[in-house]
Amino acid sequence: MASANTLATFLPYQNEPPAANYATLDTRNGQPVLDFDGSTSETTIFSCIAPSNYAAGGFTCILHIAFTSATTGNAVFACSVERGSTDMDADSFAAASQGTVAANGTSGIETQLTVAIATMDSIVAGDHFRLKVDRLPADVSDDIATDAELRSIEVRET
Amino acid sequence: MANLATAQKVAVRATWGSDLSARAEAFKLSRADLDAAITATDNWIELNAAAFNLALPLVARTNLTAAQKAELFMRVAQKRYGG
Repeated sequence: MASANTLATFLPYQNEPPAANYATLDTRNGQPVLDFDGSTSETTIFSCIAPSNYAAGGFTCILHIAFTSATTGNAVFACSVERGSTDMDADSFAAASQGTVAANGTSGIETQLTVAIATMDSIVAGDHFRLKVDRLPADVSDDIATDAELRSIEVRET
Repeated sequence: MANLATAQKVAVRATWGSDLSARAEAFKLSRADLDAAITATDNWIELNAAAFNLALPLVARTNLTAAQKAELFMRVAQKRYGG
């Protein structure tokens, strides 16, 4: 697949929450979002099959994020992948890559955060894989004390 | 009474952050600015608690517990400023 083509999209109702500290499913004006807390690091996970035309390049994740209350400041998110060839009973996500997103001046307007995943866990076309997204409120660059709302994710081949 | 411990201030920030988010209320302070405001408020209470106590009528001063006086202060302040 050519670089920058879309490999997958993920929406809130597709999320597979971990057992604890999961991003909370919510709605805003009827639109589903996943709320990430401003104090505790929370996580969401999505599953997918790498498309047959995936050329085993990197993933560029474009996170569509709004903020519940904040109209200024920044939040930090990390993305990591896990190739589905390991024991399902244990997580084995590869090293995460992270990025910082600035709040829009209107809290209901989303901002896009692009995170290029550096460690791909050897995913190839046809593999089942999982994408994990964490908010990192303890990161020095995350200065928003209230919720961030994940609306959707587009995954492109880098 | 001593000032709030760091963990208690973090708890104030976390709880209020959750409440603001639940109400989808616009909020413009950064986490650091909010922490500074919490500390300043705590310091002000520490400095003025005795004066507030003395301002209460004797019957209230002698019959309310410290927690009830704090709740009284919070409820009146909240009503005055739109809470």
